Amino acid sequence: MSRAAQNNTLQLQSVSKSFGSNGSTLTVLRDIDLSISDGEFICVVGGSGCGKTTLLRILAGLELNYTGSVRLAGAPVKGPGLDRGLVFQEHRLLPWLTVEQNIAFGISELPAEQRAAKVRHYVELVGLKGFEHSYPHQLSGGMAQRVAIARALAGHPQLLLLDEPFGALDALTRIRMQQELLRIWSLQRTTMILVTHDIDEAIYLADRIVIMSPRPGTIKRIIDVDLLRPRDRTSFLTTQMRQSIYREFFANEEIPEDYEI
Amino acid sequence: MSISGQNISALPFAETITEEVAPRSASFRVPGRLLGAIVPAAGIVLWELLSRFGIFPPNALPAPTVIAQTVIDLARTGELWRHMGITLWRIVVGFALGATLGTLVGGFTGHITLARKLFDPLLQSLRNIPSMAWVPLFLLWLGIQESSKIGLIALGAFFPVYLNLSSAMSHVDPKLIEVGRVYRLSGFQLIRRVILPAALPEYIIGLRSGLGLAWMFVVAAEIMGASRGLGFLMIDGQMTGRASVILASVILFAILGKGTDFILELAGRRLLRYKTQ
Repeated sequence: MSRAAQNNTLQLQSVSKSFGSNGSTLTVLRDIDLSISDGEFICVVGGSGCGKTTLLRILAGLELNYTGSVRLAGAPVKGPGLDRGLVFQEHRLLPWLTVEQNIAFGISELPAEQRAAKVRHYVELVGLKGFEHSYPHQLSGGMAQRVAIARALAGHPQLLLLDEPFGALDALTRIRMQQELLRIWSLQRTTMILVTHDIDEAIYLADRIVIMSPRPGTIKRIIDVDLLRPRDRTSFLTTQMRQSIYREFFANEEIPEDYEI
Repeated sequence: MSISGQNISALPFAETITEEVAPRSASFRVPGRLLGAIVPAAGIVLWELLSRFGIFPPNALPAPTVIAQTVIDLARTGELWRHMGITLWRIVVGFALGATLGTLVGGFTGHITLARKLFDPLLQSLRNIPSMAWVPLFLLWLGIQESSKIGLIALGAFFPVYLNLSSAMSHVDPKLIEVGRVYRLSGFQLIRRVILPAALPEYIIGLRSGLGLAWMFVVAAEIMGASRGLGFLMIDGQMTGRASVILASVILFAILGKGTDFILELAGRRLLRYKTQ
């Protein structure tokens, strides 16, 4: 894998983060080095407490007291910015705004007709035509998360950050949303970083899987997923990959044959 | 129910059923609102009869029709409009003043934590002073004219508006505020686009309870010292021994209070339509 330096959208260099509480400090991330190219789909997998959400929040500019450097297209990340979109585990739509208005939330400085055109484009992209004037409480969990993705994409970010975006959805909706996300990614070619604890989700989506281990959060291994898309969730190669990732977490344990999502 | 034998066989089954059941269930099909009116209506009829037959002393509890007549007479002489007008004017001015102040102080303390910590305990304890306890002080400070009444009503309206807005703004879901941060909103933009809309439902409840208290305080103010207004009309009725005037004022208070609350309720429902749609 040769990744030309100028091609790198995102560069993380020895990023560490500690939370201090009355004297004692807890190191959540230690020496994270990672470089991500334009248009790549990265999944960060790890158990709870491995700092994967903190890592994403650093990239989003929501956590600022870290050491090391984070550069997006050469410029250091100093706070939230429209060059990065963020999708949370909960949809976090504003309940008093319609689907349309929620999608337009981050692009309010655009002239009205441009904004309307963008909203129309993203409503269609996430497959919510006909629901423009619905309010969030009228939507299902999956639909609300589609709106959240559209809202994050509307600012045309270089980088889309997703923090366990489908974690709260039921298994079938989750699979459908993974397919949707992949379709959106292949159309938009936005660089995506998705944090998850779901190994199968990572195998289905990612170009590279970053495996993290906890206390302190470090990168344990980075796996290239050289499987053709759309990937068969049950094929031999997928199963093999799942086994190898599974071993990273549960060394020396037998993998149940019928392990499914 | 006059379906002859041969017709029944021609009717679809479902229709036959409804025809059969309809008369029996008719009494339960009365809409809830009408159902709730039955007891008061019966009470009024009973009251009318008991007063007519002299079982209720007419000078203490006159019949509903007598009260209605009193209202009509008051309206005819123009006295009613004068009293109602001044009371409504006091409510509108006092409520507007109190609600504005409540909004400003509530917004200030709701947004700035330090301000909330400094002022909230004091305001919380002042809130517990009963309305009537303020009256002598306000009369002393602001005199017997309009300003003391307006001040008192404003005070009544102030607390619920302040309280609800301040607490609602300081309790906005931090997750929504974070969404604002992600889209680089700060200061005024964050307040306008996230905090205020999130606080709006509680704010409207505050406005409505403020209006309710404004009505309580206007009665207190007008009873203690006024020469016009519905509260004065009540005292006048008491002084001249006309129970029908007192009761007429009470009923007018109820109607006006409900009416003004209804206006706020409608406005609130419009602003919060996203909740019910």
